[in-house]
Amino acid sequence: MKKIGIISLSDRKSGFQTGHASTRRKTNILLKGPKNVKIGIPRAFYYHSYPGLWECFFRRLGHEPVVSPPSTQATLHKASAQTETEGCLPQKLFDGHVLSLIGKVDAVFVARIISIVKKYNCCPRFGALLDATRAGIARGVPLIPIEINETVAPLSKTLMKLARTTLGADTKTAKLAVKEAIEAMAQHHREEARRQREQTPGKRYLLLGHPYTLHDHFIADPMIKKMAQLQVPVELMSFAGSRHIKPGDILWCVFNQMYHKLHELDTQTYAGVIQISTFNCGADSMMADRFRRVCRQKGVPYMLLMMDEHTGKAGLDTRLEAFVDSLSWQKTGKAS
Amino acid sequence: MKERLAIPNLGNYTVALAAMVDGMGAEPWWSTYTHDHAMSLGIAAAPESVCLPFKAHLGHFLEADEAGVENAMMVNSIGACRLNYYRGMLDDTLKDMGRKIRLFGLGFDGFKPPVFRYFDPPIIPLLRAVFLGIEKIRTIDTIEIQTAFTRARELNTGETSLLTEHCLSELCGIDTKKRVQVFHKTVRERFKAIAIDKNRDPLRVGLIGEVSLLRDRQLNRNLEQILGHRGVETKNFFLLGGEIGNNFGISMGYKQQTARQLALVARPYLGCEVGGHARDSVAHTIHCAREGFDAMVHVCPTGCMPEVSIRPILRKVSEDMNIPVLELSFDEHTCALGVITRVEAFLDILQNRRRKGLTKAKSRGTS
Repeated sequence: MKKIGIISLSDRKSGFQTGHASTRRKTNILLKGPKNVKIGIPRAFYYHSYPGLWECFFRRLGHEPVVSPPSTQATLHKASAQTETEGCLPQKLFDGHVLSLIGKVDAVFVARIISIVKKYNCCPRFGALLDATRAGIARGVPLIPIEINETVAPLSKTLMKLARTTLGADTKTAKLAVKEAIEAMAQHHREEARRQREQTPGKRYLLLGHPYTLHDHFIADPMIKKMAQLQVPVELMSFAGSRHIKPGDILWCVFNQMYHKLHELDTQTYAGVIQISTFNCGADSMMADRFRRVCRQKGVPYMLLMMDEHTGKAGLDTRLEAFVDSLSWQKTGKAS
Repeated sequence: MKERLAIPNLGNYTVALAAMVDGMGAEPWWSTYTHDHAMSLGIAAAPESVCLPFKAHLGHFLEADEAGVENAMMVNSIGACRLNYYRGMLDDTLKDMGRKIRLFGLGFDGFKPPVFRYFDPPIIPLLRAVFLGIEKIRTIDTIEIQTAFTRARELNTGETSLLTEHCLSELCGIDTKKRVQVFHKTVRERFKAIAIDKNRDPLRVGLIGEVSLLRDRQLNRNLEQILGHRGVETKNFFLLGGEIGNNFGISMGYKQQTARQLALVARPYLGCEVGGHARDSVAHTIHCAREGFDAMVHVCPTGCMPEVSIRPILRKVSEDMNIPVLELSFDEHTCALGVITRVEAFLDILQNRRRKGLTKAKSRGTS
């Protein structure tokens, strides 16, 4: 059994600077000694926003990344007793993933994300995620914190800092790890784009959603499976190349990308748009209305599907079938 | 005839905003709380899962449109919270419904805010109106503080609330800065005239959370009065004067802690700005625990993004610093009676804690 102390539970140097010396700074016991620390990565939120990055990064630094298993009803069940009741569904899933990691790993990797794209921001939940997890679900568990704020520092610098300070790697290893990790993410994105191109030659449906809902086993998988059953090609909204997004009045970067995607939607290629929303997602509640409006202007059929903890598969099936059916009737002119 | 301009609700502070709008050359259309009718209009027109303040604002403007008001004004924000998108969505919704009311923003697309471009007020009367408004905000700060103090100690229940209404309506009628200043000086004496029980040591409770909910008494089901009439001295942490003073660096009435100071206080528990007043909520809780408050009441609309996400942190602070925190979420179905029941149960606990000598303990440990 490896022995590690508290891993810089309060990494006060990073993050919001108030210009004063830190009021409380715990002794920073670095992970210098033992290599191959088991680092748990919850398969939620930032895992999906940066696909492939974290595993590669930690592995390159000589640690063992452990990604929690794909989310199921059981994940949610585990979390529901302890998590904040008013949180959104992905938040509950995140808590479930953290809970499933506790006890199996030496430290859990939790990110505080303020912006993924320069000058844009994220859902406020991401800002509080690290502190809320520390105070709530993962109390007393060693955490590996990171603050991602592209407006202040690019991702590579942030990763470098994490590797050098908290994980105690030397500069050379850290540099190499950062480079390879970012390359791994780019590779992942390229792969995804290639798959997308090959899979969907004809007229297809666009599935809109956050990266962490579209790629979540519990939230989007039933829908994707159902669409496959109905033999309709589906394209997932892709956030690759999110570094360079077009300016717009929506400051939430993910929604800005979705908005532009819808705006430039080719009505010849896309039969319809299905937005996957999750219960109590504040951002979706504000933006769904706007997306509906854009789709109406373009004449693309739009449907909003909201998932919550209790969503039955039958209801989902009915709605998807009805949507696909009604669109195919429209095409063949069976119903006028 | 002057065109009318509907302004958003900000509780009693709307009185001061109305004075500013008046000086801009428009006739203000306002209310210190969202009416029931407006609420029902807003709920019917808004998407179901948006937050309560949006529904209230939408309803308010729909009601204004029904009354034949030509223009409306909405505040802007640049945070991560949903308030950022209120104006755009209000505009879209009103247009979709075919309403004629024009909605103006307060800026960010040029030097002059759109609303000024439209009304084009001459500069000197406008400045005069702004100074008048600021003076009124200061006065309302005083009224709010005095109300909270007196209501908890009054001998005849309801007297203070009446006087507050009276003061506000009188303040509405005053149209020069000088006279507002004179009025300001009399406020304290007026509240002193109310018979109070000087020996009473009321429970002290801090109110934190989302702004609209803290200030709109329709949305929070008159929470402050509920607490006050049960002999609780409340400290509402949203005082517009203090808030503006600290955000823009102008000295305005009551000094509150600046955003910087609050960030420093909250830092052991919350290391970054979340959005809305979330970080302030954490900081105020820590501060109140140190000052020996009996409890905090955290109010927010159901599903409020920043405020809900910091709840685990508030719970941790509550445990660490030995200060109870009551979390109240409000939505359109929240009934005043439900709030009263919860508050009364909470107050019983607080009284009990006091009897056992558990409160007023100075903060333990370090933070």
